[in-house]
Order: sequence, then C-alpha cells, then structure tokens
Amino acid sequence: MSTLARIEDEWHHEVPVARLKGEVDTSNVDEVRERLRSLLTNRSVALVIDLSQTTYLDSAGINLLFALGDEMRGRQQRLAVVVADPSPIARMITLTGLDQAMPVRPTLAEALGDVRGPGE
Amino acid sequence: METWEASTPAGLPTGAPQALADLQRVTDAALSHLSLNSLLAALLERIAEILHSDTAAFLLLDDSGDVLVARAAKGIEEEVEQGVRIPVGRGFAGRIAAERHPIYIPDVDHADVLNPLLRQKGIRSLLGVPLVASGRVVGVLHVGTLTPRVFTAADTELLQVAADRAALAIDHAQAYEHEREARERSERAVRVLESVQRVTDAALAYLSTDELLNVLLERMREILHADTAAILMLEHDGRMLRARAAKGIEEEVEQGVRLPVGRGFAGRIAAERHPIFIPDVDHSDVLNPLLREKGIRSLLGVPLLVEGRVIGVLHVGTLTPREFTDDDRNLLQLAADRAALAIDHAEIYEQRRLAAALQRSLLPQDLGEFPGLEVTARYMPAAVGTALGGDWYDLFPIGAGRIGIAVGDVVGRGLEAAALMAQLRTTLRAYAFDGHPPAEVVDRLNRMLAYLRPATMTTAAYLTLDPERHTLQVVSAGHPPPLVIAPDGTARYLPIKGGIALGVSRGSRYAAQEFDLPPGSTVVLFTDGVVEVRGEALDEGLERLRLLAEREHASVDVLCDSVIETMVADGRPADDVAVLAVHLVPLGDHVVTAWPAQAEALAGVRHLLRRWLRQQGAVDDEIYDITVACQEACANAVEHAYAPGKEAFEVEARKVGRTVEIVVRDRGQWRRARGTHRGRGMPMMEALMDSVHVQHTADGTAVILRRELAGDAPA
Repeated sequence: MSTLARIEDEWHHEVPVARLKGEVDTSNVDEVRERLRSLLTNRSVALVIDLSQTTYLDSAGINLLFALGDEMRGRQQRLAVVVADPSPIARMITLTGLDQAMPVRPTLAEALGDVRGPGE
Repeated sequence: METWEASTPAGLPTGAPQALADLQRVTDAALSHLSLNSLLAALLERIAEILHSDTAAFLLLDDSGDVLVARAAKGIEEEVEQGVRIPVGRGFAGRIAAERHPIYIPDVDHADVLNPLLRQKGIRSLLGVPLVASGRVVGVLHVGTLTPRVFTAADTELLQVAADRAALAIDHAQAYEHEREARERSERAVRVLESVQRVTDAALAYLSTDELLNVLLERMREILHADTAAILMLEHDGRMLRARAAKGIEEEVEQGVRLPVGRGFAGRIAAERHPIFIPDVDHSDVLNPLLREKGIRSLLGVPLLVEGRVIGVLHVGTLTPREFTDDDRNLLQLAADRAALAIDHAEIYEQRRLAAALQRSLLPQDLGEFPGLEVTARYMPAAVGTALGGDWYDLFPIGAGRIGIAVGDVVGRGLEAAALMAQLRTTLRAYAFDGHPPAEVVDRLNRMLAYLRPATMTTAAYLTLDPERHTLQVVSAGHPPPLVIAPDGTARYLPIKGGIALGVSRGSRYAAQEFDLPPGSTVVLFTDGVVEVRGEALDEGLERLRLLAEREHASVDVLCDSVIETMVADGRPADDVAVLAVHLVPLGDHVVTAWPAQAEALAGVRHLLRRWLRQQGAVDDEIYDITVACQEACANAVEHAYAPGKEAFEVEARKVGRTVEIVVRDRGQWRRARGTHRGRGMPMMEALMDSVHVQHTADGTAVILRRELAGDAPA
C-alpha cells in the first residue's frame, strides 16, 4: 500500500468497518479496492466504509464506491458510507449522486443501523 | 725445585755447521707452502730428529686465551686425540705460556707437570718454549725424552727458532681463519637479509590476500629448501584450524582440512603460541593424515600472531629428514608475521566494506522527490574504528503534502548502535504513518526504546513540515536545535525547548513547537559530530556551522557538501557526521510545472496546487474543489498522454483579477472515458468550476479551468 492512504478495520459483530485514512486518487485506488474486498467473504452481510478521516477523494474514489456498491448489491450485501457533514467529501458525494446509490451517514452508529437492518 | 729455566736466547746460534744446517731445516721456505697442519707436523718431525727427542708437541691457546689445547703431537699423539687442555699459568706448558720464556725440566718426577699423559708415557726430561707472534703468546712447543737428558742453550735456541717459525704460520693461519669465518658470517647475513627482503617485499602489499599467501608460501619453500608449505587459519570459535593456502600439499586446502587446536603439530603451535620443530614425523603426534600420506619427514611450524593473538599457523615440511637452524625458524616467523598482518588487514578491510554497505542499507538510499521542496542529506562515518555508526536521518511523506523529517544519534558505534538506529528509524516511520501527531510519535518512540533496549540513550529530533501552510512542527529529544536559513540568507537556530534524550525515562513527555517557515527558507538538521570538534566548545561549533550556512546556501547540495568538506578539511571526523537540509522553494503567482505521465505524480500536483491556492488566498472549500477539478484533468492526461519521460504533461496556474485559471496540457488526444463507473470526471469538473474549456490542437489537448475566489476581497 502506498503511503498516501491506509485502512484500519474493526469489527462490529458481523460487520466490518473500514476506516480509510489519508488520500485516495488514481495511483492507489486499486490497492484500496483490493483491501476493501479482502474484508468481505461470501457470508458477509455488510460493509461500512468510514471516510471521516479521509483527506482527499476524487472521482477515482467515487467510482470505486459506486462499483463496490453494485458488486455487493449483486451478492445481497449492504454497503454504507460514513462521512462528516459538512465536508468537502460530503459535497463531492452529493455532487456525484453517490448518496442516492447507498446510505451515506454522518456517524458510524447510524451507518451500522442502516446495514444491520431491522431485527438486529 | 730442579727445573732449570733457560734464559731468552740472545741471538742466532753460532758454531758448528751442523747447527746452521739444523736451523735451515726449520726455517726452510718450502714449508711456507704447507697448510698449517702439515707445517706443524713437518716442524715436529724435524725438531724431534734434530734434538733426538722422543716426543714433540704444539699446544695452542684457545680463543679465550686461558687454556692451551694440544694441536699437533709426535710420539705423544694421544695428546691431540684426547684434546688435552692445560690452563695457562699452571704446570709445565701453562707456565711457559704465562711467563713467556723457555722451561727445561731435567726430571719430570720432581716437577709440577700437570699433563698425566707425559707421566704415563714415561717421559723424563722436557724442554718447552713459548710461541710468540706479533708480541703475543699463541701457544707452546715442547719436546720430551724417555731418558733423562740435558738440553743445552743451543737446543733451546733451535727450539725457539722452530717455535717462532710455527708461531708466524699459526698467526697467519689464524688471521686467515678469522677472515674466512667473518666472510662466511657476512655471506650468511646477506643470504638471510635477502630472504628477509623476499618475505617483507613491499610489492607484496599490492597483491590480494590469497595471492600474497601463495607467493609467501612459494618463497618460504625456496628459501628454506622445503617441499611443502601451508597456512592454516583459526576458525572464529577458536577451536579449529582450517587450511587456507598450501604449496606442495595443495590437497590440504582442496579437502578443507580442519584440525583441532591443542592437539597435533599445528594444533599445539596454535595453542602454545610458539614454534615447534619435528625432526621425524614418524615419531610424533602429527594428526593431519595428509602430511603422513605425502611422506613428509621433518616439519617446522610457527604461529601467525596479530597483536599477540593467534590467528593461524604457518608450517614447512621436507620429504627427507632435516634440521632447521635458528635462522630458518626466525625467517619462517617473519613470513608468518607478514602473512598474519596481510590477513588481518584484509579482514579489517572486508569488515569495513561490509559495515559501509550495511550502513548505506540502513539509511535512506534516496530521499525521493517532493514538488516544491529541495532535499538532500550527507552521511560520513568517523575516521576511526568500525565504519558502523549510530547517526541516522530520514525523510518521508506523511500525507496531504506534508513531510516528516527525522535525525538521531545513537550513543556508541558498531553493529549494536547501527542495529538500534535502524530499529528507531523504522519505528519512527511506522508511528508517523499511523497518523500520530509529532509529539505523540516521539512519546511512543521513547517508550519503544525503553522496551527495545533499556538503559540506552539516544538523541533525536522529529519535524513535520507543512509546505502548504509553511509551518514546521519540531519535537526534540535532547538533540541539537535545527538551523533555519531565512529567505534573506540569515541563519538562526530555532529556539526550541529541548526535551530529554530518548531512553532516559519511560515517562518522558514530549511537546511539539510550531514555527513559521516562510517560502524560501531552508531547515538544516545535523548530528553533534558536525558541531562537536576536538578542543572546541559546543557554542563555537554551533556558531561555525551557522556562519557556514549563511555563506554557503546557494543550494541544499552546496550547503551539505560544504559542511562535509569543512569536516574533512579539519581532519577526518572523530565522530559520525550526518547533515540534512530541506529548502522550501518559493512559488510565484504564475506557476508552470511539468510532470511524468504516472498516477503517482497526481499527489505531487495536488499538493503543490494546494500550496499555491492557499498562497493566492483561497479558502479550504475552494482549495478542495479546484484541486479535485484539476486532478480530473490531470488523471485524463496521465491516461492519454503518450509522451514518455518526466515532462509528459504540464500544469499552469495563475490568477487574473479574482479568477484562478488552471491549464492542464498534454500531447495526447482527449477521450471520453468508457465503462459504467467512468466518465464522472468531466461532470465533476464542470460542477466544481465556473468554466471548463477543452481545446484540441495538433499537439494535444489543453483543459482550461477557471473559478473566481469568493473570499478574495482586495485589501
């Protein structure tokens, strides 16, 4: 992994949370994608990506989130994103309509509530 | 006392013609051509005949001058055979030599004759005279009779003439003998000297160690007329010897012969640290089967010593039994000393080479490139001892265009210091990448050191530079303060409140101090070797460096080279020296930069643009939006520009009134991105900027982005 970004993961029961720290651009987006995919197995029900400590995210990162959302939806898995609001990245997400494609929440608790769904 | 002591003869005998004839017989010139032994024998023969004596004998003084030794005898040959020795001053002959005049003994029974042979032989009367040459006594000539006999004065005179004749010949012979011995001694000395020269030959120093050992062994074999020669080296554990080089017994090296220290021929030389000579291998405890197989009969071996410590054994062997002289042994030891020195030097050189390679691998090979910064570092190990030092430095990106700069100095030298240095460097980097603020990085480093190596002290400084906000955060753990050269060329040390050195206390807490670093400034970090010069107060060293920095700051390379050159000019440094400089290049209002078509370049563009935008008065949201828009254009250029090399696309930034204009130019053809989740770049640019224009030209594509800054109200 290049030194631009690093991903810390933590588990909330069955749900992995990936905390993306640093910058995501074309140069490291592939590594970030692989790292995020590695947190998922066929039995995973959901993934939360926490962008609250991400300092840079451009269309390469936005594209990655869209693509990952599509992939997971196809496997009946849910993806949610945490992002501080207001923040430049929140504006970027609104601008690109990512918030229409998946839950984007200002706190981790809300995002976890979304992916666990009713009954959990 | 019945002895008669004759008076010294007054002159030549006169009288009877017979006497003259007798005289001629003992002075006969023809005798001169005889060797000394033949001369003495002929003289004894003639004297006995002339004087009608039964015995005649020459005794000569030995080298000490205290003892007479029988040299030639007639009628009493046992004297010579038994090597009779008579002390000067005692007895018949002894008194003649001591008193330098003839003695006549009419009756041996009533005299103090010491020599038992004379009595055993039944000699009754004796006459003896001193042999005098060049005024000194060289011996005694005496005649004896088995019947009592009266010797006349004429007899005495004749005997004395014969004695003088003999003395002259003896003197000559001895002079010749001495000359010959002296010549032989000097010839031998020359031979030894030549051999020594062949062994100590300065030209050998230019050979590799293996070649040198081979030449030495070959020469030893020649000089000592030996059939085999071999060198065995002590292994590192000091318990075994291993064959290193051999002549005439090459199998020793080929088969990698190993022998235990303490037993056998070579093993005992190594253990006892002195030469061993084995006259006959058959009757000795030689362990090496090869020596026996080769049929070696005699062996001489010496230890290879370096500063009194055994590092190996050198031995020569012969296929026929032989003796070795002291000279041989000394010469072999000389060759061994020479070989030991060469091996030791080679090992030291090898260790230094390895150490230097290790050191290089422990320090950053390449500090990397940081747009808008000039960075460089120099490291020079101390002139003395092992090349491994504990000085270190590091420089790395820590995200958002900021860089971390570290410098440290582990107390001590050698492998341990270098290993600890490497651990500290890696640990500090890891904490920095984890995103900890600088003070926290150093706090953790301190706790890690206490865990890694308790009771080890080391100084370090960790700085983070934010080029965008031109600020410098400094955390010092007992390290000399950073030097900052301002844009106007004046240099000053940052007034830091230095924390305690790392490793002193587990509970130490460090604080970061923030300093403004105006564009055009240079930060200089160094280890104390730079400012601590023998016989100089620390303040003097700091001031010397400060003045040097004010003089020599044309570039960071010039600065660091000057620091090192000054250290070298003052004599090689006694301590390791590390120096690192970072220059914050000022950005103009109109900036044009060129970049390679690599995704890795994007971060550099982004960080430089952010710095420029902030300098132009843009606020955080504007900076972010404009940066993202520009990156979209750059990402496209990276994807489609086909010019290789470092300058594949160009980013130009300027401000017209309140409007920021960014132009991204490449030499490729603009294409709409394909794929489901591609193609968001263009809409994003359009959403983030006031205007986006794409111009296609014959040379390539230019994307022109414009946005008016809201907060940029004129003052």
